[in-house]
Amino acid sequence: MKKTTFTSNRLERVNTSFKSTFFIVTITLLFGCTKKFESFNTDPTGITKDQLKIDFNNIGLYYPGIQQNIFSNYGMYQLIQNLNADNYCGYYQSADPFRGNINNQNYFLVSGWNDYIYAVAYGDVMGPVRKIESEGTRTEAPDYWAIALILQVQAMSRVTDYYGPIPYSKVGLDNATPYDAQKDVYDLFFKQLDTAVSNLEAYIATFPGSKPFAKYDMIYAGNYTQWLKYANSLRLRLAMRIVNIDPNTAKTQALLALNNPAGLIETNTDNAGISGFGYQNPIWYVGTVWVDLACNASLITYLTGYNDPRLSKYCYPAGKMAPAPPGYEGKYLGIRAGTPVGAKPMYNGYSFPNFDIIQQYSPIVTMNAAEVWFLKAEAALRGWTTGNAQDDYETGINTSMAQWGVSAGNYLNDNTSTQADYVDPLTPTAGVPNASISAVSTITIKWDPAATKEQNLERIITQKWIAMWPSGGYEAWAEYRRTGYPRLFPVVVNNSGGTISTDLQIRRIEYPSTEYTNNPTGVAGGVSLLGGPDKGGTPVWWDTNKGRANPVNF
Amino acid sequence: MQKIVYGYCIPWWRSSSLTKTLLVMKLTFLFLTAACLNVYANGVSQTITLSGKNVELTKVFTAIKKQTGYVVFYNHSDLNGTSPVTLSVYDMPLRSFLDIMLKNQPLAYNIEDKTIMLYRRAVPEEKALDSKQVTDIIANIIKGKVTNAQGEPLQNVSVIVIGSQSGTTTNNEGQFTLTTPDNKDIILEFSSVGYQTKRVKVGKQTEVNVVLELEVAGLSDVVVTALGVQRSAKSLVYANQIVKGSELTDIKNDNLMNSLNGKVAGVTISPSASGVGGSAKVILRGSKNAFGTNQPLYVIDGVPISNSSNANGQPNSTFAGGPDGGDGISNLNPDDIESISVLQGASGSALYGSQAANGVILITTKKGKIGTAKINFSSSYTNNTISYKPKFQNKYGVTPNGNQSWGAALTTPEENDNLSVFYQHGQNISNSVNFSSGSALAQTYFSYANTTASGVEPTNKLVRNNFTFREIGHFLNNKLTVDANTNYIQQKVDNTPSMGLFFNPLTGLYLFPVGNDITQYKDQYSIPQPERNGLLTQNWIANEDLQQNPWWILHKNPNYSTRNRLILNASVKYDFASWFNLQVRGNIDRVSDTWERDLYSGTNPVNVIGRNGAFTRSDLTRTQKYGDVIASLKIPFKSPFKLEGLLGASNTDVITNGTSIDQGLGLIIPNIFIAQNVATSVTSNVSNSSTHSQIQSAFGSLNLSYNDWLFLNITGRNDWSSNLAFTSNISYFYPSTGLSIILNQVLKLPTFISFAKVRGSYAEVATSVPQYITNPLSYLAAGGSVNFNLVEPNPKLKPTNTKSTEIGADLRFFDNKLSFNFSWYKSNTYNQFIQYTPAASTGFKVGYLNAGNIQNKGIELLLAYDLVKSEQLSWNTALNYSSNQNVIIELNPNAPDAQILLTTPNPNAYGSALQKGGSWGDIIGVKFERNESGQIELNSGGQPINNNKFVKVGNPNPIWQMGWNNTFNYKKITLSFLIDGKFGGHVMSMTQMLMDSYGTSKVSGDARDNGGVKVNAVDPNGNTVSTIDALKWYSTVGGRSGIGEVYMYSATAVRIRQATLGYNFPIMNNLIKSIRLSLIGSNLLYLSKKAPYDPEITMSTGNGMSGVDVFSQPTTRNIGAQLNISF
Repeated sequence: MKKTTFTSNRLERVNTSFKSTFFIVTITLLFGCTKKFESFNTDPTGITKDQLKIDFNNIGLYYPGIQQNIFSNYGMYQLIQNLNADNYCGYYQSADPFRGNINNQNYFLVSGWNDYIYAVAYGDVMGPVRKIESEGTRTEAPDYWAIALILQVQAMSRVTDYYGPIPYSKVGLDNATPYDAQKDVYDLFFKQLDTAVSNLEAYIATFPGSKPFAKYDMIYAGNYTQWLKYANSLRLRLAMRIVNIDPNTAKTQALLALNNPAGLIETNTDNAGISGFGYQNPIWYVGTVWVDLACNASLITYLTGYNDPRLSKYCYPAGKMAPAPPGYEGKYLGIRAGTPVGAKPMYNGYSFPNFDIIQQYSPIVTMNAAEVWFLKAEAALRGWTTGNAQDDYETGINTSMAQWGVSAGNYLNDNTSTQADYVDPLTPTAGVPNASISAVSTITIKWDPAATKEQNLERIITQKWIAMWPSGGYEAWAEYRRTGYPRLFPVVVNNSGGTISTDLQIRRIEYPSTEYTNNPTGVAGGVSLLGGPDKGGTPVWWDTNKGRANPVNF
Repeated sequence: MQKIVYGYCIPWWRSSSLTKTLLVMKLTFLFLTAACLNVYANGVSQTITLSGKNVELTKVFTAIKKQTGYVVFYNHSDLNGTSPVTLSVYDMPLRSFLDIMLKNQPLAYNIEDKTIMLYRRAVPEEKALDSKQVTDIIANIIKGKVTNAQGEPLQNVSVIVIGSQSGTTTNNEGQFTLTTPDNKDIILEFSSVGYQTKRVKVGKQTEVNVVLELEVAGLSDVVVTALGVQRSAKSLVYANQIVKGSELTDIKNDNLMNSLNGKVAGVTISPSASGVGGSAKVILRGSKNAFGTNQPLYVIDGVPISNSSNANGQPNSTFAGGPDGGDGISNLNPDDIESISVLQGASGSALYGSQAANGVILITTKKGKIGTAKINFSSSYTNNTISYKPKFQNKYGVTPNGNQSWGAALTTPEENDNLSVFYQHGQNISNSVNFSSGSALAQTYFSYANTTASGVEPTNKLVRNNFTFREIGHFLNNKLTVDANTNYIQQKVDNTPSMGLFFNPLTGLYLFPVGNDITQYKDQYSIPQPERNGLLTQNWIANEDLQQNPWWILHKNPNYSTRNRLILNASVKYDFASWFNLQVRGNIDRVSDTWERDLYSGTNPVNVIGRNGAFTRSDLTRTQKYGDVIASLKIPFKSPFKLEGLLGASNTDVITNGTSIDQGLGLIIPNIFIAQNVATSVTSNVSNSSTHSQIQSAFGSLNLSYNDWLFLNITGRNDWSSNLAFTSNISYFYPSTGLSIILNQVLKLPTFISFAKVRGSYAEVATSVPQYITNPLSYLAAGGSVNFNLVEPNPKLKPTNTKSTEIGADLRFFDNKLSFNFSWYKSNTYNQFIQYTPAASTGFKVGYLNAGNIQNKGIELLLAYDLVKSEQLSWNTALNYSSNQNVIIELNPNAPDAQILLTTPNPNAYGSALQKGGSWGDIIGVKFERNESGQIELNSGGQPINNNKFVKVGNPNPIWQMGWNNTFNYKKITLSFLIDGKFGGHVMSMTQMLMDSYGTSKVSGDARDNGGVKVNAVDPNGNTVSTIDALKWYSTVGGRSGIGEVYMYSATAVRIRQATLGYNFPIMNNLIKSIRLSLIGSNLLYLSKKAPYDPEITMSTGNGMSGVDVFSQPTTRNIGAQLNISF
């Protein structure tokens, strides 16, 4: 848009349009005056592409945003994880009677809430990754590209596990993005991790110890070896997810991960926690500022039943945020999923996460070493490796205990403790059903070599579930659906109108309403790939157990 | 001339456009100052009264010295050849006198200080005088009296001798005396506000008695039209309604636009519910734009001014809007306004271009009048109280373990009125004085006004000072007119109430548990914390995000805003010939705002990071510069045709610069509210904002009339907008045309029809896209990251185009006693600038396109009748009516069902959206799920189920509105009142929603009394349910995310908008010309109001948040008195 363009436009108008001849004199006077328009219409507080090129900020500065948007900020975190997966996996239940107690937590899937899952994943993660790609990063800075791919797989694996088929391979290419079958999405995840791993390996080999990504890194301070471990661990996690539907790929990918020389996240110093750039821990925010989340009865009953030394680190006893129900002062008391909680502050006196530990700027963890040990335990249990499942299982527990600064004590040898029964002192009240319920699990802690694989898998997954608190709810819910473990209390109230079974529990989240208005053909393709109605009761591709009472994992 | 206007682009001005413009202003002011001095040298006492036959010049000189103190110097020899004069002058200005006396003498003169120097001048031979001839210099003394049709004397009528510098005004008896230079072809012009201006040709007579007819609007009026061009009202091709300044000052409002409410057809005014100094939303003929402002352009004396809010802008969240930022128009002093003319339609405003697409409000300010010297003083006081209260229950106490009011019945009903513990009487005190005077050469106007107001919420205060100085000077035989106007406005507002759920004292007040004593929380709103060595924290019954101790908010969450505004206007006009003039104008409107909010430690942590409190502040300066050059032509053909036209160019340049300090990571040391004490993370907590946009225009207008009964008007304008830079075409053209016919001049109409005009017009107005849209950039974000540009690319953006058609008629009957105006209009706004959300799966977050068609269609009626008109008693009644129908015919064609959100609903109950097939500003909310027979479906827990999506539940815009104004005059008593109503439309009350769910509302108490809520519902087993437990019902349908359809109320409201009772005291002495004392009242009584709040008020004057109440401060009822004295 140089001056010449304007001139020709101007003259063209004058010549072709009789009405403008009226103004010919003035136009002549104005000639040249509009040449500053481009500078007027350039926001001086904005940053142009050229300005960003310095120090490769045109690529690097995308990363803090992408990393933060894995969990996103407090409000978005609440909508993309806390009021769905975190609840469905038995970690949390809000003490806030949102929407008159008719909401996600009791299976009334609030479309206005769940729309944000896509908005954050695509708008704040995939969109920026496409931009990074368009800057030539794929070839110009393969190490950066590797990080982008790892982060994208991390963020988008949660999305496909929530929904099933999602737009993935063709994102950013057209207005109407087609949906990919979940199998294809997983295949692409593995390929992208292949690229990430080989790019990082090549870079480390060429520039050992170099940390060009350090200033943008909110997880590993630029240490590419750590990122390699993260990529391998992620691959192992995703591989295990599809074991029941595609055991061959699962095993191949798991071994690929386990055999990579860089290793996996195996010590707590390798844990992938996000912090920095002023990012506030969203659990802290939602819990302390809004007092909008509390601990779920499933979590509390397992931890109290197991006399788990992590309990006091995980949660506050009742009565910390508001007076405890009579007789519960100092005791641990969760809220059962789907409880019609009374108006605030009625349930604020129940147990909340321990906000002396989860603080305003505490890192929020996407993956920890304990989880990897439990994945290795499962790999060993499946006979994929020569490792000892029991050793991996116990290392997993010890690693988790260490992460929280407690000692396991006799925990590993406890072969009697099981999940506790749940008593809700505030129900039943007038019109509210009784939320109290007997324990649904009999699994003990101590490894039992004589037990069936299925029983020991329950042990592994139950302990993995405990170890992934407080931020691994998205993964815990996926693993709950895959394996059927840990056994969780069903919702007290089911407002799904028959689309979700209380016993089988929720299997997925409905596609965002915005896709139906903005990408109707795409989402229609997605529903057809899903192979069932777009409802919370329809299982996703890898969900072979579909919530049955006696899961079959072998 | 072009150099001045387009100087930015010319090398010698390249340095800085601002300084250049200032230079022009400065020069203009120098000019004016000179003009003033000149006037005063010529002024008051330097007049001559003299008569005599054959008086020698020397004797005349003696008389001059005696009467004026001026000494006449001359060389005796120079008096040779002069002749005696015969004189008869009365109160003639010295210069005029000398001019006349020496006209036929061989002498000329100079005046320096108080000395008149005479010197010889050459006189052509043939004109040389016979020394014996006596020069007959008779300056006529003309006396007379001006009366109205009833024969009552009219005072203060301006009397001007056309073509001269003489002029005067009538005294209390309606009498005047003036001196005319010559008795040939003298024309006197008599003018007075409210009367038709009359010109009288004076022959030899020395006494002229004149009767002035009352002005009948629209007949012979000269009205100010676009660009300040004056035209006869009857030639207008569009509707135009004029409101006199007195209607703004009869009852002063702290925002003068609110004074227009109910008075003008086709105008919908919604005052902001934000206490004193709040803004007003003004919509002419319906909202047209999906994005950007829908409010009109404000124009003062032909030049656009800014109506901008401070950096705080307008709220657009049901959570926490933050306070209203005020608007520009409310800054003006209503006493400075002569009249306001409302151009509702596009054709009236086509010449103002893009900014005027939503109509124009033309403000004509006061100026000094020729031949008058006047001081007006006005003082008014009103006492303001809330005009309604929400209805509370008083029977059921606090919930066990909670802070709601769902507990057991109280043994004795509560009698406390928490609202009277909180609300106070507001006050509005306004004092203003203005001085105006004028000679034929220069007119001066100066005014000062002070407004001091306090709100009904304690600590809410406003202080405003307005200074105005206007000077008009005429030079070079009246060919050159220079007019300059300076306004300085200083305003300070403390504690503008926040609207929405957060930082709002009303949430805590209205949700306070029934049966508890609130006064303890008023008396002790803060308590010391020993562990922090006495640092105070708030004392409140509930710890939740949406309520705080109301008095804590008042005292410990204060906000302050200040505004300093300077408006400088100057225009220079030169009449090259009677048929051609050229005018150059310049204007600078510079607004500097600051806004600050201090949140003390102990404030609810929602929106406050850390435990030490927070400090936020913004500073914003907005400078709008406007310049134009206009050449006007008037060609009186020697045929029945007349042609008028203008050709011009203008430049509008708006720059804003701002700095804002956000709370960062909170304060370092508690409760020290300075920028240095703000903790920050990686990035600065200080941010800059900056905008620059410019529109260059060329325009022209042609008015052709035939025999004064047929008028054709054509306009065209071309704009070049900087906001369109980076697109393929920055230029756009739009035309308008119109025709009016005065039927009574061509047809033989029945005699009871005194005037009949029909008119029709078609106009297009185009509006540029918003700033920076065509050049999306990335932005630094918190923590040192970058928010990258994720805009879906579209290089084809173009201007929005409104096409409107209007037809109408103006009729007068029975000797103009009855007047009737009618307009029908239809406007379609195409190529809407639409900001849409692309499918999330594209990876883009936002996109822009031009599409759509929003249509407004409606009628406007005005009916005025002088029911009684006698010497003692008169009664005038006037009715205005308007209706508007808005339809969104088309929006984004790529996603036809998508809603364009004006206010995002989630997670609360209220949202506002545009959707194809709906109307502008539809309220969206959730509805019940119902079966085929319309029964509400319940879940297994017996709660009603909602439909899980936000759909239209109503539209807040009135379907029609009406105002009825009556004025009675009986001797010296005047009574007037205005009743107005807005009918149709629906609004939502989230206040009610929350009060119901907290059990504090009367409705929730009554439901408990009645054993539950009566419903027509069905349970999952198909059994009909007729009663639902009150708590179960209200905790489901109420609350902040309640079921919208339950909380929709008719927006119909009829009220006695205002009434005044005035008395004109008999004049006691010569010093005081009039004294008037009035009792005034506004918003006196609701004759009908169906919603639980005043549906007229708005939480935002932007596009969102209309038709919802989220703990808005109630409207006030204002009663007081006003005193006007003129000297």
